[in-house]
Amino acid sequence: MTPWDLWKKSFDVWEDATARYVEKWTKSPVVLGPTGLALDVAMRAKSAWDDALAGLWGGLGLPTKRDQERTLFLIQRLESRLLDLEERLEDTLDDARDPSPHRPRD
Amino acid sequence: MTGSRPYPSDREKWARRLANLSGLAGRARPPVGQTPHDCVFEENKWRLLRYRSAVAPRWRRPVLLVPSLINRHYVMDLLPGKSLAAYLVAEGHDVFVVDWGTPGDEDRFLGFDDVAGRYLDRALRRTARIAGADRAHVLGYCLGGTLAVVHAAVQQGRIASLALLAAPVRFEDDGPLSAWTRSATFRPDAVVRAFGNVPWQLLQGAFHMIRPTLGLSKSVALLDRAWNDEFLDGFLALETWGHDNVSFPGACFEKYIVELYKRDALVKGELRLLGRPARLSAITCPVYVVTFAHDGIVPHESARVLLDHVTSLDKHHLHLAGGHVGAVVSRAASKGLWPALATFFRDRDR
Repeated sequence: MTPWDLWKKSFDVWEDATARYVEKWTKSPVVLGPTGLALDVAMRAKSAWDDALAGLWGGLGLPTKRDQERTLFLIQRLESRLLDLEERLEDTLDDARDPSPHRPRD
Repeated sequence: MTGSRPYPSDREKWARRLANLSGLAGRARPPVGQTPHDCVFEENKWRLLRYRSAVAPRWRRPVLLVPSLINRHYVMDLLPGKSLAAYLVAEGHDVFVVDWGTPGDEDRFLGFDDVAGRYLDRALRRTARIAGADRAHVLGYCLGGTLAVVHAAVQQGRIASLALLAAPVRFEDDGPLSAWTRSATFRPDAVVRAFGNVPWQLLQGAFHMIRPTLGLSKSVALLDRAWNDEFLDGFLALETWGHDNVSFPGACFEKYIVELYKRDALVKGELRLLGRPARLSAITCPVYVVTFAHDGIVPHESARVLLDHVTSLDKHHLHLAGGHVGAVVSRAASKGLWPALATFFRDRDR
């Protein structure tokens, strides 16, 4: 065994032990509770800031980012519904061609 | 390449190691996702891709690959010789894959039901129709497997068989992800309200925290095997994939965390999809569950447990050595996992 191989083996043992130790702590409620709380506070602060900016923007009568996102999403949903209708039409045509009860249906 | 001798001497290894590491920054990144394919359908950001085959498929029903929502699909087509998709094509399967794409800001409203219900249904329908088959085999990987299971629990009419790679079904386990997401102070709704889509950087940070020493461990592995060009290309390809992540659509993330992780609703039979109950006992098609012994992301029992709940008589479990990603793209996978999957689909196609 070369010195490198020996060092590598020791490293692997250390790495595995360290990872297990850290995992034990990251799963501990002592760490998880405050970390979750800190994340929650940071998220709420960001939301409050964004809401304040959107309020100012909306106050000028301009569409906010959220308004635009909602509109774009509704357009996508409309496209999705059109595809649903196309598929129903395809199924109806398939049924007319092959009325077998074994054909997969939704 | 290792030259005429299969294994170089230590001196040669060090010389190659140093040469490869010193040229690492300028080394061409291996091209990923290179198996020829065509986009056969697209909706919103997701696309359905079909891999090209030089010859007509030998099997009646196509195979649909469903990757995780937050990773790129090309992990299943990483490099020539390390591509599950190319292997299945070579075995005579007609292979399709869902490329979930990159969500836009407006996709914060995209729900779990849209993805697991509508999009997957559409992918299955198109796959079967394009291939001229009544049903398709489904191969779900990680979260993609969970989506496929939820879909099958509600509407399995177009699914010929279900193969699942490290797909969690029970979320209350002893893994770190379960502990973090089930913590009472973790509020996914607050994250979604603040960010819209959950940023990939946040998700990647969380995945790094599963094993914080992994970066160091990878560096040592790189130093150890940098003499091997094949290893180096595979390493760089995986790193390319590992840093090419996708944000999680907000509403979808919220339901995923609350219903699946916090309430463990899927395994309890309490999950609903598109207003219909998603009961695992409703799954009757052939099921093949593959788990990995060193999977730090999906503890193998949380995936295997599916077999205790489905009604299928034709159900099998394959437990392999290796980690969550390595076991799917490694050289060993091309000799064990891939042939096992190809055989499973082939035998259920008769």
